[in-house]
Amino acid sequence: MPDILDTARAAGCFQTLLATIEAGGLLEALASPGPFTVFAPVDDAFAALPAGTVQTLVQNPPQLARILKYHVLSGQYTREQLIAQAEWTTLEGAPLPIRRFDPFEVKNASVNAADVVCDNGIVHVINRVMLPG
Amino acid sequence: MIPPSTHRYAEVIHRLEAGGSMLPDTPENLQQIIGIYKAYAVPMDFYWRDLLYIAERVFLNPLPAFKYFPSQEYLDLPNSYAGETADLRIWRGEAGAHPELLEFMEKGETRRMPKLLHHLWHDRINMEFAEACMDAMFWHQGMGGRFYDYLESDTYKANADRAIKAYFKGNPLMLGLHKLFPEMFLEQVRKLSYYANLGLFWEVMAPVFFEMSDIYDEGGFSGVPAAMDFLVNGIFAVAGRPIYHHVYINGECLEIIPKSEGFTWLYEAALPYVEAVFYRTAPFRGTKSYNAQAGQVPADQADFHYGILYADVFPVGSAGIPPTLLMQDMVHFLPPYLKEIYLQHRRGEEDQLIQLGITFQRSMYNVTSAVIQALRAALFYPLDDPDPEHLLANRRFFESQMDRFLRPEARLRDVQTQDYR
Repeated sequence: MPDILDTARAAGCFQTLLATIEAGGLLEALASPGPFTVFAPVDDAFAALPAGTVQTLVQNPPQLARILKYHVLSGQYTREQLIAQAEWTTLEGAPLPIRRFDPFEVKNASVNAADVVCDNGIVHVINRVMLPG
Repeated sequence: MIPPSTHRYAEVIHRLEAGGSMLPDTPENLQQIIGIYKAYAVPMDFYWRDLLYIAERVFLNPLPAFKYFPSQEYLDLPNSYAGETADLRIWRGEAGAHPELLEFMEKGETRRMPKLLHHLWHDRINMEFAEACMDAMFWHQGMGGRFYDYLESDTYKANADRAIKAYFKGNPLMLGLHKLFPEMFLEQVRKLSYYANLGLFWEVMAPVFFEMSDIYDEGGFSGVPAAMDFLVNGIFAVAGRPIYHHVYINGECLEIIPKSEGFTWLYEAALPYVEAVFYRTAPFRGTKSYNAQAGQVPADQADFHYGILYADVFPVGSAGIPPTLLMQDMVHFLPPYLKEIYLQHRRGEEDQLIQLGITFQRSMYNVTSAVIQALRAALFYPLDDPDPEHLLANRRFFESQMDRFLRPEARLRDVQTQDYR
C-alpha cells in the first residue's frame, strides 16, 4: 500500500499541499510509520486563499509547519471514529472540531472524500485550508 | 436564503453579510478613512522603527534617555513589505523611512534645530503613544495566541537569562541585582519582547496604509467595502509573518524569541493587538477613578472597554492621554482633502483634533470590520456559500461580534451617520 505522501502524489490534486509539506520540513515526518490522520486540502483550497498568503508561509517554514500540523492528528481515524468525538487535538496543539456528520465537515472544511487508507495512516480530502482559532 | 437577523444591529449585520463594513459605504466615509490611514501611517513608520530599536538595541539600558532617538540604521531599515527588497511588496513606495516623516523630524512644528532640542521642547513624534499600546498588550491576558504562555516558559526564561547576563557582562552591580531579584530583569525583557511584537506588527500596517492612500489617489477604490477588502487580503497575505525578538549585544545577535518557535503575525501580534488596543486598553488617568472602592473600573480584564471603538473622543482629547498624542501626531500629516473637510465643519481649525479623532474612530471601525471578515473567511464560510447552515454559522459569528458593541459606550451607532464629527 502506498504511504500518505505517495497517495497524495498519485492523486494529482495535492501539488500545493506537497510543496508546502516539503517547504515546511515535514516530508520526513509524514513518511514515517506514524500512523497519522491527515486532512488534505486540494489545490483549489490553497488557490482560494488571498494572494501572498501561501508565499509568506513558504518563506517561513516554522510558521508554515504550524498551519500544516493543524491538519494532522496522531493516530489513524476513520470518519466513523472521528464523528464519535466533538473535537480532536491536532499535532499543532489547537483543537479541531467535528462540525457535521453528514455531510462530513471538519471545522469549516467539507470532506469531499473520506477514509483513503494508506500504509502509514488515513487521508480525508478537504476543500479548505483550515486555520486554528 | 436565511431569515433576517433580529439583533439590535441587524442592519450592520446584513451589511457585513453582503460583504460590507461596519462603516456605511459613502464617498465621504471612504475619503475620511483613507486620509486618516495615510496620516496615521507616517508616525507609525517612526513607531515601528523605534519600537524595534528599543527592543533590539536599547534593551536593558537602565537610563534610556535616548530611547526615542533610533539610530540611522533603524531609520534606514528596509520595511519588509515595501521597496525592491521586500519579502512581499505591499507598498509601491520605498523601504526606508517615509520622506514626510524625515521632514517632520527635521523641522517639527517649529523649525530646524538639533534633535535634542526638538525632543526637550516636545516638538516630535509622540512615541509615548506607541509605548501605551505596547503596555496594553503587555498587561492584558487571555487574548489568544501563544505569546503570553511562551514568555512564562522555561525556554524563554533561559533565553532571556542568557541575554541579561550578556548585556550586563562585566557589570557586577547589575549582575548582582539580577542574582538578588531574578524576576526583575526577566519581566523587563518580557516587556521588551512586546516592544518587538508591536514593532513587527506595525511594520506591516504602515505600507498597507500607504498603498491604500496611493490606490485611493488614483481612484482605485470603488467604496468602503473595497478598502475593507484590501485590508482583508493584506491580513491574509502577511498572516504567516514570523514574530520574533532578537537582541544585538556587542555585535552579536541573541535570539530571545527565535523565528523557529513558529509565532505568527496573525495569531501572536495582530489579533492580540486588536483585542488589547481597539477594545480593551486601560482607563486613562484623569477620566476614571483608579480607586477600587469607587468601582469605576471593571474587575474583569476582558470587560475593559477603553479602546478606540468605545472612545468618547472629546474628553479623551486631553493632555497626555495616549490617543490625544496620536491625534497630535496625525494632524501633522493630514492630506489636503481632509484639512478641507475639517475647516468646513464644526469649529474648523479650532477643533480639528476632535474631528480627526472621530475620523480615526471611523477608520478603526473599518479595520475591525476587515479583521472580522478575515476571521469569518478563515474560520467560517464564504459569504455566498450555498448551504444555509453555513450562512447561519456566519450569522452567529457576526452577531457575537456585534454583541461586543451593545454596551452604551460603543460608537457603532454613532458612526452610522455622517453627522457624527
